[in-house]
Amino acid sequence: MNKKAYYGEYGGQFVAESLMNSLNEIDEAFEAAIKDPEFIKEYHYYLRQYVGRETPLYLAGRLSEKYGTKIYLKREDLNHTGAHKINNVLGQILLARRMGKTKVIAETGAGQHGVATATGAALFNMECTVYMGKEDVERQALNVMRMEMLGAKVVSVESGSNTLKDATNEAIRTWAKTAEDTFYIIGSAIGPYPYPKMVKEFQACISREAKKQHLEAEGRLPDVVMACVGGGSNSIGMFADFIDDKEVELIGVEAAGKGIDTDEHAASMAKGRPGVLHGTRSYLLQDDDGNIQLAHSISAGLDYPGVGPEHAYLHDSGRAKYVPITDEEAMDALMELTQMEGIIPAIESAHAMAYAFKKAKEMTKDQSMIVCLSGRGDKDVNTIAAYLRGEGYLN
Amino acid sequence: MNRIEKRMNELKSNNEKAFVTYYTAGLPDMETTRKIIDAQQGVTDVIELGIPFSDPTADGPVIQQASYEAIQGGASLKKTFILMDDIRKSGNEQPIVFMMYYNTIVNYGLDAFVGKCRETGVDGLIVPDLPIEEQEAIREALKGDDSTILIELVSPVSKKRIPEILKGARGFVYCVSSMGVTGQAADFHKEVVSYLSEVKSQSPVPVMMGFGIREAADVKPMKDIIDGAIVGSHFINIMRENNFDPNAAKEYVTKFKKELNGV
Repeated sequence: MNKKAYYGEYGGQFVAESLMNSLNEIDEAFEAAIKDPEFIKEYHYYLRQYVGRETPLYLAGRLSEKYGTKIYLKREDLNHTGAHKINNVLGQILLARRMGKTKVIAETGAGQHGVATATGAALFNMECTVYMGKEDVERQALNVMRMEMLGAKVVSVESGSNTLKDATNEAIRTWAKTAEDTFYIIGSAIGPYPYPKMVKEFQACISREAKKQHLEAEGRLPDVVMACVGGGSNSIGMFADFIDDKEVELIGVEAAGKGIDTDEHAASMAKGRPGVLHGTRSYLLQDDDGNIQLAHSISAGLDYPGVGPEHAYLHDSGRAKYVPITDEEAMDALMELTQMEGIIPAIESAHAMAYAFKKAKEMTKDQSMIVCLSGRGDKDVNTIAAYLRGEGYLN
Repeated sequence: MNRIEKRMNELKSNNEKAFVTYYTAGLPDMETTRKIIDAQQGVTDVIELGIPFSDPTADGPVIQQASYEAIQGGASLKKTFILMDDIRKSGNEQPIVFMMYYNTIVNYGLDAFVGKCRETGVDGLIVPDLPIEEQEAIREALKGDDSTILIELVSPVSKKRIPEILKGARGFVYCVSSMGVTGQAADFHKEVVSYLSEVKSQSPVPVMMGFGIREAADVKPMKDIIDGAIVGSHFINIMRENNFDPNAAKEYVTKFKKELNGV
């Protein structure tokens, strides 16, 4: 057992023998890169000049007033390409280039990670293929168009449920075939080690900045830090720099879909059991036979039946708390943020907002929380419109 | 003695090559699966029985589809154990291994799973998503009884990992002929011959080649290196084309086994 691949009993490297050498190469290259000042300098250059970091920590005045506590928003929605995904893509693609790889592949659900990867590939002149479930290709036509404009090839995956889980399976299969010249850019805090560690490292800029910004504004640490959790990339980035600050409460918000007592949700912590999928051991939605169940959420980005292994560890150790938010609660919060602050959030991020409003009720006006606003809602306008028309949702 | 190891010893003393087939348990149902297994008695040396899983990342389209249909038809690990029990009770002593993904084992419970394998006569396990780094727990559970053994997999890029993998090898070692997944029609890795020779020169157990093999002729260039061949996706295709007729299974495996041994 490779102990460093584990977070408590979670994590590991459950992949085919064909991929073990690749994982070891990536691990070595990654560890060397993050200790190399030149690599870090280049990564930070692109974060600043290309992505537009640092992103603001905005005190949502009207919401703070209404809910009686200070609500700060970490504005990842203002990043180039519209979400936090680009932070990680640039880190991994610079690593791929450093390793001499000329091709990158990625999986995508809603298309945000696919768009970010296609963007990075265009920037560094790499060949890019994105695997996307057939269902998602149909309902996220705009992002498919963006990826194709950026020069990526989008492969529509027709197997199993035709969604993110199956796109990930297909990306893993392709990677196993092509690992000799291809780098797999995983967008979530999942996958075999060292992927969960890499994603955390490249998303940690979110909490590093937020901590500094909050200290400047308030002269103290926040009381609560909150983010939505699908696979868990924006949340692990939002938590990273606060994990050792035990006085800061960490809250991950899972998608409860139509409710955790229905069969249609994506709450792998609330309703799942530990198991092994996509190279890692973590909480999973699975049936009695150990087959993976379909996740459901109005937000395509949270529509995943598992969660990153470090989140499973933070959950079991009690360091972070994970709570469910339904589609309806998320959509109400989305409209409230839109109308009170003039910010249209991604539906994913609206889950975190919804819990923020609940949590605020137990807080005082001198306390403060940071909510990670992981992405903007432009991509969701069709889904929002259908929901508001009472047609349910496209997912 | 473990049934696989016993069979391998017999083949060795007869100077014969082994033939292994893979079939997905429960395609299209358990009764038919059993007939297809029984029809191969006395010919196929080891039968790999695939336990269908929802997310078979080491498999190509043929086995993915087979797994999907089997699950839709109600197949499961529990039902496959019942099938195994029936097979052994009827006196069928063919070596049988389970090819399965690790989550199916974790979900059943490691110790309970191993106990049930021993009880129902499962001779070996092939777990494609369990590299040596992650084998500690299952090896611990398998300890102390030879009736169920873990089969190791080697890939064309294993290279310096080969000695470590072979250290724990029992029964035979499964050499993957190409990068990637099952069923890529004889599209073997460009260095397949040198890779197989390298494994063979170091292996204490017979060396089997699998992935992408359809006919005995496909392995002709490697026949002096390998100790046997494994056919999966193509065997499933043959079964489908023949409406799952057990006679077609018998015909195919008999022909392959003969040709493999140059008869």
